[in-house]
Amino acid sequence: MDILANVGLGFTVALTPTNLLFCFLGALVGTLVGVLPGLGPVGAVAFLLSLTFKMEPASAVIMLAGIYYGAMYGGSTTSILVNIPGETASVVTCLDGYRMARQGRAGAALGMAAFGSFIAGTFGVIGLMFLAPLLGRAALSFGPPEFFALTLTGLTLVAYLTQGSMIKALVMAVLGLLAGTAGMDPISGQERFTYGTLTLRDGFGLVPVAMGLFGVAEVLDNLARMGSQSVYETKIKGLLPNSQDWKDSVRPIARGSLLGFFLGILPGPGPVIASFVSYAMEKRLSRYPEKFGTGVIEGVAGPEAANNAATAGSFIPLLSLGIPTSAIMALFMGALMIHGIQPGPLFIARYPELFWGFIASMYVGNAMLLVLNLPLIGMWVRVLKTPYGILCPLILLFCLIGVYSLNANVVEITIMLAFGIGGFLMRRVGFEGAPFILALVLGPIMETSLRQSLLISRGNFSIFINRPICAVLIVLTAAFLIWPIIRPKKERINHSAKVTK
Amino acid sequence: MRSDIAVGAILLALAGYIFLTASTLPFGTARVPQTAFFPKTLAVVLASLSLVLLAQALAGTKVPLDSDKIGSAGWFRIGASLATLIGFALALEPLGFLLSTFLLMVCLLRTIEAQSWGKVIAVALATSLITYGLFAWLLGVPLPAGVLGI
Repeated sequence: MDILANVGLGFTVALTPTNLLFCFLGALVGTLVGVLPGLGPVGAVAFLLSLTFKMEPASAVIMLAGIYYGAMYGGSTTSILVNIPGETASVVTCLDGYRMARQGRAGAALGMAAFGSFIAGTFGVIGLMFLAPLLGRAALSFGPPEFFALTLTGLTLVAYLTQGSMIKALVMAVLGLLAGTAGMDPISGQERFTYGTLTLRDGFGLVPVAMGLFGVAEVLDNLARMGSQSVYETKIKGLLPNSQDWKDSVRPIARGSLLGFFLGILPGPGPVIASFVSYAMEKRLSRYPEKFGTGVIEGVAGPEAANNAATAGSFIPLLSLGIPTSAIMALFMGALMIHGIQPGPLFIARYPELFWGFIASMYVGNAMLLVLNLPLIGMWVRVLKTPYGILCPLILLFCLIGVYSLNANVVEITIMLAFGIGGFLMRRVGFEGAPFILALVLGPIMETSLRQSLLISRGNFSIFINRPICAVLIVLTAAFLIWPIIRPKKERINHSAKVTK
Repeated sequence: MRSDIAVGAILLALAGYIFLTASTLPFGTARVPQTAFFPKTLAVVLASLSLVLLAQALAGTKVPLDSDKIGSAGWFRIGASLATLIGFALALEPLGFLLSTFLLMVCLLRTIEAQSWGKVIAVALATSLITYGLFAWLLGVPLPAGVLGI
């Protein structure tokens, strides 16, 4: 009964006209971002973060969440129609989705992607609803050593799951942690690495850094590889999958939802990994694995379901533990903290309207996307045809204004440009920005909990292995670090390289 | 991989630099860790990681990167855009928001993929006016007025 009352409370928050509007805006912008290859959800959330300052906290998170799951819907549209994934979680959708489009079955693929996403998104929200409060209650007994171990495990797992080199991901994580130490010492208040500037006294701002790494760097990358792209001209007819399609897709969607949800909880790019694993699993379970890649609907339904369920799952560690597990969750944490709200074990008890309103808005948003996107697909295809020559200047302008409007500080524009150039160059040599952003946000949590733990234990490091939860996490961390040395992951790299091509 | 050797060396130098800079701050002890405790520890971790990176690069066991070569046209687009962005940061306060945004858009639209002048002016005018209206009026962000005085 408790849950019902809470869900009721949530809907009273989510269904106010203002929040409905922001939910709609978020879903719309998210789809747009998912469709456009030049800008991912991380960049879009960073940009809109500055607009949420003046909003109610509930409206702010509702809109930002809409961007996140909206992007998952949008990304699949371009994968299917143009063979260009709008963002990485839709890369596998290209394999069979685009083939289906070439066979004149674009409508069925798009429709099944949307329905699969909707079903999985709803499932994920229900899971989030039940699991987050449970985990939050369990986490009430966590002390500084547990939080230190959690951040450590989280960062290591992100590096372990990266598609490129693990060493490079670890380097980015450590650089992010170091960047996070700039500004005031969280315990003593002493300044460090500020080089006498006022701007750096509060450390590197999350928004300028995120916009640099995911906005400017992304555009520079696009400028480097700019070429002509052709949109596959096809009449999209019959968006409703037929009964055979449904029969083929029901099980992949169910499996994808479950798999995606649990992979989403783990640190790292949950939606991306979920879609890859789901595709591999469907292929293995299929009676005709050789047909995968030629346009079978299971190859669209499963991964699309998985990536949407994963977006819901990825909110769990943030909302119940206060630990973001990916770049985008780090930005959500920033959005909450701007309003003075600290996500963590007490979050749900302290802000029930916010938590349940957010949950309810995700149901509403998923339904909205389904209703909106099917008829709007034609419009998204036209948006996709916007030439880079116009798109890139617009994105750059948004980045500049987005950062400037935060504090009206030109120094922050400089910081963004520096991170944009740095991020672009690092990406060229195989270093990704995501672990950096995540570490930047986790840094202060990690440092505070490490130092508090040592204060409690009087400098004895055994505090991290004498507590059971902590010990498990430390052992896991060690395993993630040692495993790749014993068994290099050549296979996975080859596999993902093949898939991307 | 040559690039990994260079990056590894730069990272190693960076770690050393951070360690030295942090040395001006109190380190404390394991019992009572102070301001420099965390940064110095991280600098040591960074140094170790860059050594591993260097070792891997020298042993030549790394997987090749999938990024392709950038042609001269690509470098031109990147260089021109960056110069424009830096110019915007410098010009924003003296010239004001409207004028610098207009100029920014003109430069970007011309250099990234030369659009026709009519299109350039139209898009630049429209975007600078719309963003000004959105941020200055709707969201109440204080934007620099500069020489135009608005």
